[in-house]
Amino acid sequence: MSICSRAEDLRDYAFDELAAGDRLSMEQHLGGCGECAGELDRLRVTTAALRALPDREIPRRIAFVSDKVFAPSRWSRFLSPVWGFASACVMAAALIVFAYHRPVEIRTLVSAAPQQTAAAPADITNQVNEAVAKAVSQVRAEDAKSTKVLLETMNRNHQREQQTLMEAVKVMQNRVNTSTLLASLDRRQPGAGQ
Amino acid sequence: MIFRAVEDADLITRVRHGDVEAFNLLVSRWEKRVFNYLLRLTGKHEDSLDLTQDVFLKAYQNIRKLDDTARFGPWLYRIAHNEAYSQFRKRKPEVGLEDTTWFEREPAPGVAPDLAMAVNAALDRLTPEQREAVVLKVYEGFKFDEMAEILDCPVSTIKSRLYTALDLMKTELAPGSGRGFR
Repeated sequence: MSICSRAEDLRDYAFDELAAGDRLSMEQHLGGCGECAGELDRLRVTTAALRALPDREIPRRIAFVSDKVFAPSRWSRFLSPVWGFASACVMAAALIVFAYHRPVEIRTLVSAAPQQTAAAPADITNQVNEAVAKAVSQVRAEDAKSTKVLLETMNRNHQREQQTLMEAVKVMQNRVNTSTLLASLDRRQPGAGQ
Repeated sequence: MIFRAVEDADLITRVRHGDVEAFNLLVSRWEKRVFNYLLRLTGKHEDSLDLTQDVFLKAYQNIRKLDDTARFGPWLYRIAHNEAYSQFRKRKPEVGLEDTTWFEREPAPGVAPDLAMAVNAALDRLTPEQREAVVLKVYEGFKFDEMAEILDCPVSTIKSRLYTALDLMKTELAPGSGRGFR
């Protein structure tokens, strides 16, 4: 360790970090200071020993093979909304075209259906009409039958109710007759009870 | 040196205009230095190569953020420094560069084994900060202000680390005046 007051400058001088004026001054100092000259010698030997270890070769070279892959430039950033809008327009146009063409196919199918119906044989229509008429007559017959059964049931119920009423009337008449007879008997025999 | 700096600045301008080949030229100029810096920092071949690739990829992605094109070197080494420390933190948060063993490295071709061993042993005794200061100054030849930019600390701190390291190594590599390794 150097004890010279210029030891710090000496190290800066050794690494070429002194300004031109200070450098000249240091060179003059070194001419008269054996301690600093020896320290400079040791520093140079040390750095020379360190530099004796050479740089290694890089095992494989590094290269960028991509094209202009960069962060977007100012123009790119400026234009990006425009491109986004343009993309949206293209998508919208594609959807419109698709929507225009798609119903044409549906209309074709729909319009083709009546033609097929018109082309059907007339006997099929007659058969259908007959089947419908038969079904209707069956339904009507079933309706008439059920109506008849219902009316018969209602008539039976009505007769039964009438019969019940007649019986009730008879019972009431009998009761009235009996009470009348008893009352007349009571009038004919006034002291029979005393 | 000035001419070279102007050339780098010109390449950077071309890179900023989308010239990938200009960047490849920049890479070819700096890749060996960056690789050796990282190798001396980490002591590991494969890690250093991977880190070098990451460094240039980051440089490529961020070159528009470089304010002064004349300071490309320190800027690039700043990225390399950050990448190296980031990797160490990522891999083993509790372990730092101080665990790097310099003896793990392969012997340097064409160098006397005793000299290589002595230099590696001397470097191995340094703290990571001291070692990095020595690497940037002695091997990479950066000025103190550039080193301060790379390491993001004051010049006085850089000088302190470097000169302390040299004092330590001097006792082994140059024990007496006029003596040393021949």
